[in-house]
Amino acid sequence: MTYSSQEEIISRHSLLWLLIVNIAVLAPLYDKLTPWSMAICGICLVWRFGIFIGKVAKPPRYLVTALAIASAITLALVTSEIGLLNGLINLLILGYALKYIEMRNRRDVRTVVLVGYFLIAITFIDQQSIFYAVNLTFVTGINTCVLVSLYREDVKLKDTARIGFKLLLQSLPLAALLFLVLPRLPPLWMVPQQKSTQTGLSDEVSFGDITELTRSAALAFRAEFSMSPPSNQQLYWRALVMEDYDGSKWTQNSSIKNIEENTPFTTPRRQQPDGSSIQYSVIAEPSNQHWLFGLDAAFSSDTGIINLPDYRLYSVRTVDQKFQYHVDSYPQYAMDKTLDSTVRRLNLRLPDDVNPRAFELAQSFEERFPDPETRLSAMMRYFTEQPYFYTLTPPRVGPQQIDDFLFENKAGFCVHYASALTFLARASGLPARLVTGYQGGEFNQSAGYLSVYQYMAHAWTEVWVENRGWVRFDPTAMIAPERVLEGFDAYFQAQDSYLLDSPFSPLRLREFPLLNELRLTLASIDYYWSVWVLGFDKNKQEKILQKLLGKVTQQKIAIFMLMSITLIGLIIAYSAGLLHFNRGKDRVSTTYLRMCYLLEKKGVIRDKRLGPTDFCSIVEQAFPGIATDFRRFTHYYVALKYQPLSPHRRKKTVKLFLSQSRKLKLKIIKGKTS
Amino acid sequence: MKKNGTKESRFNLWWAQWLNRRLPPASRVTLAHKSIFILPTGFGLFWIFLVLILFVFGTNYQNNLVIGLSILLLSLFNTCIIYSYRNLAGLTLNASVSPQAYAGETLVFPVKLSSSQPQFEVLLNYPDNQMKVVKAIGKEPIVSLIPFDNLVRGQISPGRLKIESRYPLGLCRAWSHVNLNNPHIVFAKPLVSHSQLKSIDADNQNITGDRGMHIPGVDEFKGLKQHIPGESLKQVAWKQLAQGRGMLSKEFQQPQGEPHWLIIEDLNSPDLEKQLSELTWAIDKMSGRGQVFGLIIGRKKILPSEGDAHRVHCLQELALLPQYVEGDS
Repeated sequence: MTYSSQEEIISRHSLLWLLIVNIAVLAPLYDKLTPWSMAICGICLVWRFGIFIGKVAKPPRYLVTALAIASAITLALVTSEIGLLNGLINLLILGYALKYIEMRNRRDVRTVVLVGYFLIAITFIDQQSIFYAVNLTFVTGINTCVLVSLYREDVKLKDTARIGFKLLLQSLPLAALLFLVLPRLPPLWMVPQQKSTQTGLSDEVSFGDITELTRSAALAFRAEFSMSPPSNQQLYWRALVMEDYDGSKWTQNSSIKNIEENTPFTTPRRQQPDGSSIQYSVIAEPSNQHWLFGLDAAFSSDTGIINLPDYRLYSVRTVDQKFQYHVDSYPQYAMDKTLDSTVRRLNLRLPDDVNPRAFELAQSFEERFPDPETRLSAMMRYFTEQPYFYTLTPPRVGPQQIDDFLFENKAGFCVHYASALTFLARASGLPARLVTGYQGGEFNQSAGYLSVYQYMAHAWTEVWVENRGWVRFDPTAMIAPERVLEGFDAYFQAQDSYLLDSPFSPLRLREFPLLNELRLTLASIDYYWSVWVLGFDKNKQEKILQKLLGKVTQQKIAIFMLMSITLIGLIIAYSAGLLHFNRGKDRVSTTYLRMCYLLEKKGVIRDKRLGPTDFCSIVEQAFPGIATDFRRFTHYYVALKYQPLSPHRRKKTVKLFLSQSRKLKLKIIKGKTS
Repeated sequence: MKKNGTKESRFNLWWAQWLNRRLPPASRVTLAHKSIFILPTGFGLFWIFLVLILFVFGTNYQNNLVIGLSILLLSLFNTCIIYSYRNLAGLTLNASVSPQAYAGETLVFPVKLSSSQPQFEVLLNYPDNQMKVVKAIGKEPIVSLIPFDNLVRGQISPGRLKIESRYPLGLCRAWSHVNLNNPHIVFAKPLVSHSQLKSIDADNQNITGDRGMHIPGVDEFKGLKQHIPGESLKQVAWKQLAQGRGMLSKEFQQPQGEPHWLIIEDLNSPDLEKQLSELTWAIDKMSGRGQVFGLIIGRKKILPSEGDAHRVHCLQELALLPQYVEGDS
């Protein structure tokens, strides 16, 4: 048997809550909505408001159906444009909005609430900051209040809110516990991914590309080293290796691209190097790209990561949310001791009739320095001997890019220098390639991690040397040594580069020591959030359980859970008013009897047949020192026990009685009885 | 089909017996852990389903916040169980006396509800009867009238009262079946018929139809009425005057003639129910006129009297007569 139809009608109180929850749930999803969906959501909200204030009637069913069909068709048409996931999200949002407008009974409200929870979960796909987590927890609370409002109709908004949020807050401890203990599984099946703009490094580099990145103060990734981090000049984070050069831009070779594209089906091709290693973990910020960051010869045994043959790391899924992985780097390891002939040919290839003057220069280097290593150091020296200038705003170059840069402008940026060096090396017969990634990192002392920002993007050269494999040469270090030794900020003014386009970046606070400290503290909190909440995985789970329980066994977890759940249950039950400790006892009688017991120890025994007044006169005779106090005490007692008092009077009298009792006790204990 | 039916009824019987052992009938019941049952509602099952979906969703996207949300909703369900229990625990039900009712009318059973802690939206109903919704229950007892459709006369026991609550989120249904031990005597359905009255009148046609009625006289004290100037001072109620209630005079009356006898002779007649209904109507009619009457049911005799207590007594006697059973003579 269910409610009668009259009870199923949604109360005005619930309608008000529904208005609030609609805005609360949909607002954080604003960036997912197509303009169409947004318009329909807006109409539904306005209509609902109209119904609420009594200006409009409920929409006829055929109108809602027509709207639903129309929006579904429009969505189907634009799905290829916005991506499958976004299409599905929009469909769900439209369903939510349309159901919202044609709601008729409590059942519909419950449906809307359940879908609301799901929309909150969808918001979490993209938004994972602490701010959003707190915000969406709040929205979850509001959504819960809608359900409460179905059962509390004639109360104020505040009362419903109190119950709803109380329920939610009381559920948090158990949720935290379950979050800690519940098993973490790998993805069960592949799911559609968000189609979003890619950020960070691109897989092709031409002059001036990286300049754009130096305008960005966004975080690229963070790294935490198990030991102390290497010095700044060793922090060359490799992300991409470019082997193809067409005279204007550097791109990845198709052979490596093939491996990348077939990643889910290929097995890692590289063995873990041996030798001493640096261990660290990286939390990559969402970039919607696949490449990850590692120092030198990097190797990761995490699932979902491919160790590419050029010693880089590659994620099987696009990095569309914060992604944490563990890396072992081997700085001493020689990358490719023997060079495959096809790879050698690839890394010597240059386009014809390009940069003839640079080619000539390379030839002369080859003649003067037949030994590759001395030739390379001579090339590096060349950049310091000539008046080269390091700038973020290089002058324009013509079609003979490297010639113009080397001999005319003599001013450029890391890409210019790295391209030039790679070109020179190749032209002089040494296999060389361009590497892009990031250089340096800002160390957060309190939390012990490195932050690498987009503006730290960098490009350098790797040259293959006999017996040493691929060796890193960074010409930028010759022109602007501070850039490499102390970091980007030591060489450039932040205002001219990464702060130019971002007036509200917290990095602006660096100039003010106190505020900078605050910035670093907030950054640390965000870091811990990323590591311990967003990046909480099987390993961390084991680590924490080990810390809590010692050696982790099934039984121990079971006992631990049982105890915690019981404790939490008891606390909730107590706060709900289900457990009563000592509440039934009469406080007044207890106090009086305690006083009698105290007097008994002093020698005056109360005959059970004596009333309080008679007993009082006996006490007065025995202890004249407390006579007046005890008379007053008895007076209050008699009043509380035998006189009808108004609740207010009674409360006041109880207070007086208790304070009198304390006073009396003190006197008796101190022995001021006679 | 039939076999199934018996199985079902056997289960119902077992269930009723089990309930009787666990929750024996009592006119005052306070609900506690022994008498409250809790199970998830359909919405609660959907909720669990949503939790599972969100968990899989979070796992597939390796999104800890989505997993966290699913766990939070699971925990909320758990909290809800405690609150569902709380919304019935400590609820005291106290059966009151029901108003008079005739067969064929909807009976109302008044139940006094109170609780040491505030409780919200409690639903009360007898099986197959309309639901009564009590929005809030507090320390101050409130009386709820619970309807019960009934067609037959006699001692009617409404059976077990179902008390149900889905507060606070509708995820769990907490309920109890309480027998408040409040049987009620339902009078036979009145049937308009002048035959009983006529037959009496026919006996003594020389006596007017006022037989059994009272006329103003001196034998019995009837009551007080406003004093009309000129009336005998002997009849003035001096005591009431001294109390400051004004000038009133005592009224006296005396019964006129012989009392009526309403009679059922044959208790095994097939049209017993019809006779009972007609008698019920006659009793009400005569009582309304203030006539004195007596009742003879088979060998039982209720001496002539008047007043509401007498009326109720007579109607109850009629209501409790055994039903006519065919072949039982």
